[in-house]
Amino acid sequence: MSRDVFITGCGSFLPGEPVCNDGIEDHIGRIHGRPSLLGRRALRWNGIETRYYALDGEGKGFDTNAGMSAKAVRTALGAAGLGVGDLSFLATATTQGDYLVPGHATAVHGELGQRSMEIASFQSVCGSSLMAAKAAWLNIKAGEHKVAAACAGEFSSRWFRPAFYEGTALVDAKGRARAEADFLRFTLSDGAGAIVLESEPRKEALSLRVELIDIVSLADRFDPCMWAGASVENRTELSKGWAMAGPVAAHAAGAVALLQDFDMLKRVIRAWVGVYLEKVDVKRIIPDSVDWLLCHYSAKSLREEIVSLLEKTDAMIPQQKWFSNLARVGNVGSASIWIMLDEFLKSGRLRRGEKVLCVVPESGRALVGFMLLEAV
Amino acid sequence: MQDISSASSHDISGAHSHDVSDVLRKLAMVFTTFEGRLEQTPLIRKLTRGRFEIDDYRAFLIGLRQQVKDGALWMSRAASNVDEEHLELRSRLMRHAVAEHRDFRLLEADYVATGGELSAIVGARKNIGSEALSAWMFHEASQPNPFGLLGAMWIIEGLGSIKAAEWGRLAQSRLALPDSAVRFLLYHGENDTTHIAEFEEMLGLVLPDEKIARRIVRVAEVTARLYALQIEEITA
Repeated sequence: MSRDVFITGCGSFLPGEPVCNDGIEDHIGRIHGRPSLLGRRALRWNGIETRYYALDGEGKGFDTNAGMSAKAVRTALGAAGLGVGDLSFLATATTQGDYLVPGHATAVHGELGQRSMEIASFQSVCGSSLMAAKAAWLNIKAGEHKVAAACAGEFSSRWFRPAFYEGTALVDAKGRARAEADFLRFTLSDGAGAIVLESEPRKEALSLRVELIDIVSLADRFDPCMWAGASVENRTELSKGWAMAGPVAAHAAGAVALLQDFDMLKRVIRAWVGVYLEKVDVKRIIPDSVDWLLCHYSAKSLREEIVSLLEKTDAMIPQQKWFSNLARVGNVGSASIWIMLDEFLKSGRLRRGEKVLCVVPESGRALVGFMLLEAV
Repeated sequence: MQDISSASSHDISGAHSHDVSDVLRKLAMVFTTFEGRLEQTPLIRKLTRGRFEIDDYRAFLIGLRQQVKDGALWMSRAASNVDEEHLELRSRLMRHAVAEHRDFRLLEADYVATGGELSAIVGARKNIGSEALSAWMFHEASQPNPFGLLGAMWIIEGLGSIKAAEWGRLAQSRLALPDSAVRFLLYHGENDTTHIAEFEEMLGLVLPDEKIARRIVRVAEVTARLYALQIEEITA
């Protein structure tokens, strides 16, 4: 049995007050007490002006990943006119949960409380959001559940505290962190978002019919581009991962912190574009029919030649159709797409019959996901 | 002689031709698949994983030289098989061939600057992939109106404008090479932005034509596969 599925509620949670660029290091700290040399460059590149942290001005945590995720789920249920008592399937997404084990969904469910339910944990980077959404979508589609939620949460800032870098191979004799480590500290921040899915649209408000969720991994050809659990030098050898060395030695080798290879990112961006062009070529995505584009990547960071390629191949969605809040709420990894969708729905711009394309690229090991929605 | 303006990809009102954009899209997809395949070759894996040695770089230059040397030759042959109806394309191919026909000397100079012997790069035999690629290019260039070769140019020019400088920078920083040893790879990255625009104009000289469009994409696919085979076969 296969039936239509609708997003009937969306919610987000951003901890504390917005933090401006000058305040970042008060929250994530300064490695060996020295301000970062790369921070400014990272901020120019990502264009983020404010973000939220679940760490206070002294670096103390005042929330958890599961706590923020559960709050976003409650808000999304509320927006759908439902409560936790109505929810029977929960799929969660995150880059790194509060614990290593058990799965993140158990923690979010624990925070939600109230009733037993089916759960599924998805762990990747940004793309885990759509993995969870796809599980929720298919569960409703197959008639397994009546009300499902997909949430995504990140508490990246605690991984950016000095303790993750000091005394490791990631910091040189002058106390400077390697670019692979430091850039991300000024890129990612905290928060959570969620959607609620049902087999019937709401009568009193706009719902979003899910037309497709496509996720494509290119890990067959790419090495890890953003990772944690291996040093920069050993990142392509799974047998030299952190668990083999043990936590103390792995930490010293710089194998525990979150890292990114920026040279590789350029190649990965071209590969994302290639996957998108394939979707356009087989008419799975028809750019002219898209009214709104929500992309977890700023148009500003796409280099000129990529925009030119998209235009010349009839694949570009004009920038006036792009909606983004990345510059104000920051890059919240897997949660970004729901935080963006939530603000977009609240903006009142969407009209019945319009189509919304959500694009979620993940640098992790080169993955990209698409979700196409129609307002009904 | 065909008037260039009427054959270009933009009509009088400036609207974009879908024939050209459809072919460009398919070519961009072929290039992405090609990049993915290159990424998995042993030589490029060494380069991106920081395991590249000077012998790998020398083997790389030797491997590239044959194709670079042949490039201007098959392009000249292709030009000689372009008929009078397409004189503008013939002119462009000839200019292109002239502009590039000495580039392999730069590769040789780079090789010598790494401390290698000139006779070693000049006397090296083609690897299996180079044999296949070279035979394919000359075969295709020998056909009447070999417009499919625009697909081959997309792949080879794309390598020059997108990959060469990236590889050159990685090799230079890994091996601490002097500028004089990476001139070929670095110099190719310079023409980046005009690459697509010029290519689009050339497509406009032979399109719209469904059969030619299909052939251009097919030749790009075969060329990409054989080029990747050439890189796969490079061993230090």
